[in-house]
Amino acid sequence: MNLEREQTLRTLIEVWLSHRPVDEWHQKAPTEISLRRAEVLLPGRPGLLDLVADVNGRMAHLVVGMRSVGDEPHFLRAGDDVSLGLLEDDDGLAVCTDALRDAQLAPLALALLRRAAPRPGPVAVLRDDEHATVLDCGDRGDLWVFPWLSDRPHPAVDFLEALDGAGFNHVAAPLVRWTWEGRDLGFVQEPLADRSGGWALAMTSLRDLYSSGGRPEAAGGDFGPEAHALGTMTARMHLALDRAFDRRPASVSGWVDSAEAAIADADPELLAVPGMADLTKSLRSGDLHLPVIRTHGDFQLSRTSRTDQGWVVSDCLPGGVVPGMTAPNSRSPLADLADLLWSLHQASLEAAIERDPAGRLDLAPLGQAWETRNRRAVLNGYLNTPGIAGLTGPDRTVVRNLVAVFELVRSLRTT
Amino acid sequence: MSVPPIPISAGEGPFDPSVRWFQHAVFYEVLIRGFFDSNNDGTGDLKGLREKLDYIEWLGIDCIWMLPFYPSPFRDSGYDISDFFNVHPDYGSIGDLVAFLEDAHSRGIRVIADLVMNHTSDQHPWFVESRSSRDNAKADWYVWNDDDQRWPDARVVFTDTERSNWTWDDNRQQYYWHRFFHHQPDLNYDNPEVADTMIDLVRFWLDLGFDGFRLDAVPYLYQRDGTAGEHLPETHAFIKRIRKQLEADYPGRILLAEANGWPSDVADYFGDGDECHLCFHFPLMPRLFMAVRREQRYPITEILAQTPVINDACQWAIFLRNHDELTLEMVTDEDRDYLIAEYAKDPRMKRHMGIGRRLAPLLDNDRGMTELLYALLLSLPGSPVIYYGDELMMGDNIYLGDRDSVRTPMQWSPDRNGGFSKADFAQLYLPPLMDPVYGFSAVNVEAQLRNQGSFLHWLRRMLTERRALPVMGVGEMEVLPCANPSVLAYMRSGEVADILTTTPSSHANPHAIIDVELDGRDWERTLVMARTVPAGNEGPGDEVVRRFQAVLCVHNLSRFAQPAELSLAKWAGTTPHEVLGRVPFPNVTEEPYTITLPPYGFLWFDLVDEDRRSTE
Repeated sequence: MNLEREQTLRTLIEVWLSHRPVDEWHQKAPTEISLRRAEVLLPGRPGLLDLVADVNGRMAHLVVGMRSVGDEPHFLRAGDDVSLGLLEDDDGLAVCTDALRDAQLAPLALALLRRAAPRPGPVAVLRDDEHATVLDCGDRGDLWVFPWLSDRPHPAVDFLEALDGAGFNHVAAPLVRWTWEGRDLGFVQEPLADRSGGWALAMTSLRDLYSSGGRPEAAGGDFGPEAHALGTMTARMHLALDRAFDRRPASVSGWVDSAEAAIADADPELLAVPGMADLTKSLRSGDLHLPVIRTHGDFQLSRTSRTDQGWVVSDCLPGGVVPGMTAPNSRSPLADLADLLWSLHQASLEAAIERDPAGRLDLAPLGQAWETRNRRAVLNGYLNTPGIAGLTGPDRTVVRNLVAVFELVRSLRTT
Repeated sequence: MSVPPIPISAGEGPFDPSVRWFQHAVFYEVLIRGFFDSNNDGTGDLKGLREKLDYIEWLGIDCIWMLPFYPSPFRDSGYDISDFFNVHPDYGSIGDLVAFLEDAHSRGIRVIADLVMNHTSDQHPWFVESRSSRDNAKADWYVWNDDDQRWPDARVVFTDTERSNWTWDDNRQQYYWHRFFHHQPDLNYDNPEVADTMIDLVRFWLDLGFDGFRLDAVPYLYQRDGTAGEHLPETHAFIKRIRKQLEADYPGRILLAEANGWPSDVADYFGDGDECHLCFHFPLMPRLFMAVRREQRYPITEILAQTPVINDACQWAIFLRNHDELTLEMVTDEDRDYLIAEYAKDPRMKRHMGIGRRLAPLLDNDRGMTELLYALLLSLPGSPVIYYGDELMMGDNIYLGDRDSVRTPMQWSPDRNGGFSKADFAQLYLPPLMDPVYGFSAVNVEAQLRNQGSFLHWLRRMLTERRALPVMGVGEMEVLPCANPSVLAYMRSGEVADILTTTPSSHANPHAIIDVELDGRDWERTLVMARTVPAGNEGPGDEVVRRFQAVLCVHNLSRFAQPAELSLAKWAGTTPHEVLGRVPFPNVTEEPYTITLPPYGFLWFDLVDEDRRSTE
């Protein structure tokens, strides 16, 4: 590759970086960009070019779309900045864009990965952050592209393949794994064309309740039966993870110690809340050990979807890497459950703020009633799944107390 | 689904036996004692039912399902039979029955009877004899045992009143077996005499002119140690035996199984096309109610996903309500609790393992919701069964015992006794409804006939439109993905035949316009429906054009307006014509098709291939 071309590609990457949140690439001057890969995925116009570059010590990955001059990009979202610059190649001058923000070019990338003929169809952005860009391409599948790469296989892809391999039916199977030099660039997942997001369903239920009042089970779109099914699916996920990865015993006291340390770090006054001491004391008694397994790591409503076939885990990120860690680690499956219950609380709060920003309508009792019903439903669904007691232990009091501690720790996280 | 041509056989009777009529028929379930009283003794009768055939024909019904009309002490609304080979004198005579059947047939309406094979009344002479001693001629006609411990896995069906499936008989000093009420002892089908007598019974009523039977409680015919006493192989063998009789001597007659179970279990009652022609799809029904309450389609789509593909020559029978309680046996415990909390807030509404309410009260008399449920009933795969009175949105009386709450007299007019009978009020078999919302003054046939916007007129129109869409009965079903969980969209499609000309022997008469006099007016019953039939159902000698029919059905299960974006790329190039108004909608393209629906709204679209139409 000649120097001029390399400089042009670095410029494209610089522009791409300028569109991304600065924290992602530790913005500092000078920005050191070292090109590692420039692969033509699709020659001609429109064309696709896959770039990987070392940026200030992190490995950036972008898919560049190349259009003829005068050819309009198909913006996926209004306000998106897709233009990256100009590039001259054997086919002439190209206008370069971020292909993952272009409704025509993104499906081309998916079709190439699937080795299928490209087909027109809808594209929707499911996720677009520092962890992944995920595009719903209808019945063609979901395209996942990682903007930042690590030196090893992506834990979310391993996680997804492990679940699928363990016979877990509540996940969209991976169809194609896109790799380069042992790193995951992205993957394609089987389509879930009729999905409704777990968060959206919960919010719909809450909006109905806040609008109509009354009992949660009487409001339209009652979430209770879905919450129960969600709990069951979560338990099955953990049983599948137990089959797919190793489990080991861990001390419950150790978990309590870690939780107290986290609480003390964030808000020491919480440790003095009535009942807290008794809770931690009861968990420390008896030298209890329970299994730790690879968990989801960030299991919440927005990581799930409801389809006509049932609930699915639609987003496997972070694949078991809990916040603060860089690699997957094992923890109690009840931590995932606590994360899910916490997201129910988040949903009730957010729906209340949406409906009553000034806080005049006193929606708290309704929100609490909704939470109580659905928390109970999730727990019933989870704990009544055959086999789960092998991971949680048979003592329901211990389970409840552990979930409470984990949920408290989760509440301290700001993300 | 392309129905293969069926060999024509020279059957007797007014109908072409080659036609699989039941696959796209609309059934009407009638309680004779509650329909119309012709002799003013307080009970409906066969002559009364016959007098109302004008109405049934006008409504657009293809087949009447008559609830039991046999002699009975009426401790279970006639399901406790004391003479299988006769007609209850309150209803009339066998002559009245034959006259009714002939009249119905002359109008193109078939009639099936309820066949209660599993048990008899304890007043039946067979049982009276059987219990008299252990060695009489009928001693072994029922199921007797020295103790009540056998078959402990067989569940009790009527949990409100029965604690056991065994009851002690002081006379015989033994227990007798009964899966239902204690006054309904089960027949012993292991006795060949019993089985043979039941075959004779079937032939008896078919010879009189019935077009088939609903086999009541058919899963329970046999008992075996170590089983739950349901769905046993011996039961299927017996049904096959009955079916052989029909195939040999009564072609075109049908068997409809009442087997309350999961679709995969109930599908066994179709056999390999050598058992029942139809089976009720029980699990679908409560899920329709769950879906509208939860405003999500998942209860419906999940049970449809569990419903197996059935033999081409068979059909599901689907319904919203019937003469029994809204059974909740085929739902989870949580869902049962939910449905009872939603639909049976008063404990008096609970009946056994279900809810004793009619359709309209279950839906709080909501016209929109009722129309939506009927739209689902008429477009989901299966032959719909409408319970008498539900076409008026009739109410119920939960203060009546057992399932009488849903068996009150038909409401014909605002006159005395709802126009059902001129007998004294005290003589009536059950009191008519008289409350201000559902009472006969407010809800009756006469008033709804006069009001073109009534539910009765709406339903009649829907039945007429459905006839022109044979794919609703026998077509393939494809649930369309939709991100909005409150919207249920599916495509019904298949090959149909447009009949251009007919022969005298054809059952289809596309040019006939029948005048029906009803309520002092003449109504046209244009047989538009007969112009388009499922492919393979045309008559011999008919000149037909076969084509592909696709009907898009979109339903909003929510009380709020909802959008729906559907991927219809497979049908790109067609023009959706809304069925009721015939208004063409924007063409279908490869892009997602957006539809907006009002609260509880639904739309049916006939996808027309304009290119093909323009060349015809």
